Amino acid sequence: MTTNQDCGCPVSRRTLLAAGAAGAFAGLVGDQLATQLAFASPGYGGDVFVLLSLRGGFDGLSAVVPAGDPAYYAARPGIAVGKKQLIGGDSFFGLHPALAPLLPYWKGGTLAAVQAVGQPAPNRSHFAAMEELERAAPGTSLRTGWLDRVMGGLGGSGTFDAVSVGGAMPARVLAGPTPDLGLASVDKFVLSGEGEGRPMAKTLAALYAGAPDALRRTTAMTTSALATTATLKAVGYTPANGAAYPDSDLGRALRDVARLIKADVGLMTACVDSGDWDMHENLGAAAPGKRMYDHLSALAAALAAFARDLGPAGLGRVTLVTISEFGRRVGQNGSGGLDHGYGNAMFVLGGGVKGGKVYGRWPGLAASRLVDGDLAVTTDYRAVIGEILRARCGLTNVAGVFPGVSASTLGLVRSR
Amino acid sequence: MKVGPRADDEDVTASAAFLPDDPLLHLLRRATYGPTPAAVAEIRGLGAKAWLDRQLKPASIGDQVADGLVARFPLSGLTIDGVRAKVRAGVIPRYGWEPMFEVGFATLARAVWSERQLYEVMVDFWSNHLNVTCPSGDVWDSRPDYDRTVIRKYALGRFADLLKASARHPAMLTYLDNRFSTRAAPNENYGRELLELHTAGLGYSEADVRCAARLFTGMTVSWETGRYRYDAGQHATGAVRILGFRHANRTATGGEAAAMALLDHLALHPATARRIATKLCVRFVADEPPAALVTRLAKVYLDSKSAIVPVLRALFTSAEFAASVGAKTRTPYEDVIATVRTLGYASDKSGTEGIRALYWTSEAAGQAPMAWAPPNGYPDVATAWASPSGQVVRWNAHLNIAAGWWPSTLRRPESPLAEFAGGVLPATYGALIDAVASRLVGRTLAPEHSVALADFYGKTLASPLRAGDAAAGWAFPYLPALLLDSPYFALR
Repeated sequence: MTTNQDCGCPVSRRTLLAAGAAGAFAGLVGDQLATQLAFASPGYGGDVFVLLSLRGGFDGLSAVVPAGDPAYYAARPGIAVGKKQLIGGDSFFGLHPALAPLLPYWKGGTLAAVQAVGQPAPNRSHFAAMEELERAAPGTSLRTGWLDRVMGGLGGSGTFDAVSVGGAMPARVLAGPTPDLGLASVDKFVLSGEGEGRPMAKTLAALYAGAPDALRRTTAMTTSALATTATLKAVGYTPANGAAYPDSDLGRALRDVARLIKADVGLMTACVDSGDWDMHENLGAAAPGKRMYDHLSALAAALAAFARDLGPAGLGRVTLVTISEFGRRVGQNGSGGLDHGYGNAMFVLGGGVKGGKVYGRWPGLAASRLVDGDLAVTTDYRAVIGEILRARCGLTNVAGVFPGVSASTLGLVRSR
Repeated sequence: MKVGPRADDEDVTASAAFLPDDPLLHLLRRATYGPTPAAVAEIRGLGAKAWLDRQLKPASIGDQVADGLVARFPLSGLTIDGVRAKVRAGVIPRYGWEPMFEVGFATLARAVWSERQLYEVMVDFWSNHLNVTCPSGDVWDSRPDYDRTVIRKYALGRFADLLKASARHPAMLTYLDNRFSTRAAPNENYGRELLELHTAGLGYSEADVRCAARLFTGMTVSWETGRYRYDAGQHATGAVRILGFRHANRTATGGEAAAMALLDHLALHPATARRIATKLCVRFVADEPPAALVTRLAKVYLDSKSAIVPVLRALFTSAEFAASVGAKTRTPYEDVIATVRTLGYASDKSGTEGIRALYWTSEAAGQAPMAWAPPNGYPDVATAWASPSGQVVRWNAHLNIAAGWWPSTLRRPESPLAEFAGGVLPATYGALIDAVASRLVGRTLAPEHSVALADFYGKTLASPLRAGDAAAGWAFPYLPALLLDSPYFALR
């Protein structure tokens, strides 16, 4: 496929990974083997890479607070998070108290943060910044989404290799030649009319038998995906370890991602959105009932439920990354909110993460260090993702996905 | 209809074998949003040439039904001043999206019910070629005006005029950032997409982009009024060279005229001619366009100084077009529109519920009109839409629309079975399937496919059909839905 040529990746990558995975399991016995195999997608031995897009411009400075930088408190007299409220931090950074549900993972070493990450150039339009975040190839003529290029590089081709959950159409970051699936939810992916005495799917399969390739392949994928979701629906789903997902779009979407991972349908990457981070006014103090506090609480509850549901074995082959189109202005505005900014924080959650730590180089919030009033970017988000994909997912050619970018060497994940 | 075995020993049927052997229906499927019973009757009466001539002169075609529907979306026709006046009057919120949504709804209504079908298809073509995402936040006041005064005004005119109108419109100036471009810091976004997407295509140099960006500085938007204005104080003077265009660009006051001269040059650049000819062939002929046809159309385009009508006439009368049966697949939007047209539905008696529902159906299928976010416009080839998710949305929409479940306000035939089967109850399931297929997809099916449909009802082709059968009553809509789901309809 051309995608593979674009990435410079060998076409047989998938096969090689399969051989490697089989070899790795050769020495395992008993329950451990069963557990490992239950999570293994056919032919792919890397982590399931979960991309959580925080839409609207996430305020990384509220989430991963630079408490040791006096300029932070000076810039946000009404909405800064007090030092005494911070949790889980080090001598310089601390986490927002609403992230408490994630504290066990932070302390247990499976959750890390990176500060001062972002795009290579500031872009304060939601629309344009989101486009570029998902294309991730400024200065080039590439029109595909970067996660599609990753799937090209990893050799994804199965129905459930790349799934976006929460919307019927695949996320833009997956746009491109590699097939992908969009599910509003596992339970809602159904063929209308199908039922006792009305065999819609069977009839459609017969109508498409012998059809030209392009039509027949899609139909084969569709009917196989419908069969899979019908089975999943029939079996039902109870999250493990007493995990309680919040009753929110994000909670439901992550529950479905965990469900697909555990059902061993071949998932390699999943995209999930969490919106409404565009807080131009009344971001609020760090207390329940305040806007940012409640949003972070909901985010943390959903992520914590996801991690708990997967359990240590499941989390051991999952890496979840958060991204957002831009961070927010350092100084609060006249409405107690924050306008569009630049540098941001990202979270990385997974069994292979070296967590409990804030990575990255802190540029400082002194006026001279800011970029038009915004936190500077010292680490390209693409380099961080490249480091993770290389270490955890077996992506060999990072520059094939992110032109001109080298993987960072933060050391925030262990190599598989 | 089977052809020889493939390498993998499976029988495969050629695309063309799914479609009726009828050049008039081929022309209708390509040059319109899909045959309606009325359109089929019209083209049979006029013949291909007269029908095409009429479609290429849209102003000569009365369009009362579509005009009446568009009037139900009064915000869709507002000027920039008009949107802002409504905001000042407190009728709509500042930065509100309803005027842009109304443009989308009105566009969809015209796609289904306008008599000026080829014009509407070309409006869609140029809306994608010169994409300004609708709706999107920054063009809240200008997007309706862009639709009316740029795209619709020149959709069957000269591309050079269309291009120049787009370059000076606040919607494009905002969408591709040229309004923020200054003498001190030229913004290259518009300059690059102009060369790469709007005109010549890949092949420009970075120096070309920098020169173009400089030449367009000063073309901006008034913050006070939202209208276009040329700000000579922000124009970067100095000689430019862009894809064979040279200009001394000596004076700030002459910057706008120099920029327009560049656009005239680019509109008539041979690479632009090839690019537009190629895109038209991808829209109307085949995902992989015949090279000889592209070459001929590019010449027609240049000979006619970028007038589009002669190019379309040459395209639709070419041997390559005639030979391209089965070489295109409906995109999700084309599918939704053609579904309503094929079923022969009329719009809501009053109100807009059905039109809005069709818009959201298109959106769920991945292609609400004009809503593509990146500047390159929706993809126009089958592989880009080969998504199981989109296919399920479309299949579900076929049944919902055929059964009148959602939208429920479109006016359907009194008795769809009687309408589709010609007023009599067919004697057998085979006859029922033949009648409905002939009406909806213009032909009877291959025997194995007719058998599959009869089997859906638990019957054989020879089984007698009785008035009390489910297939003649509540379960009838499944038959048109399955036909619309099938390759017989998926192919354009």
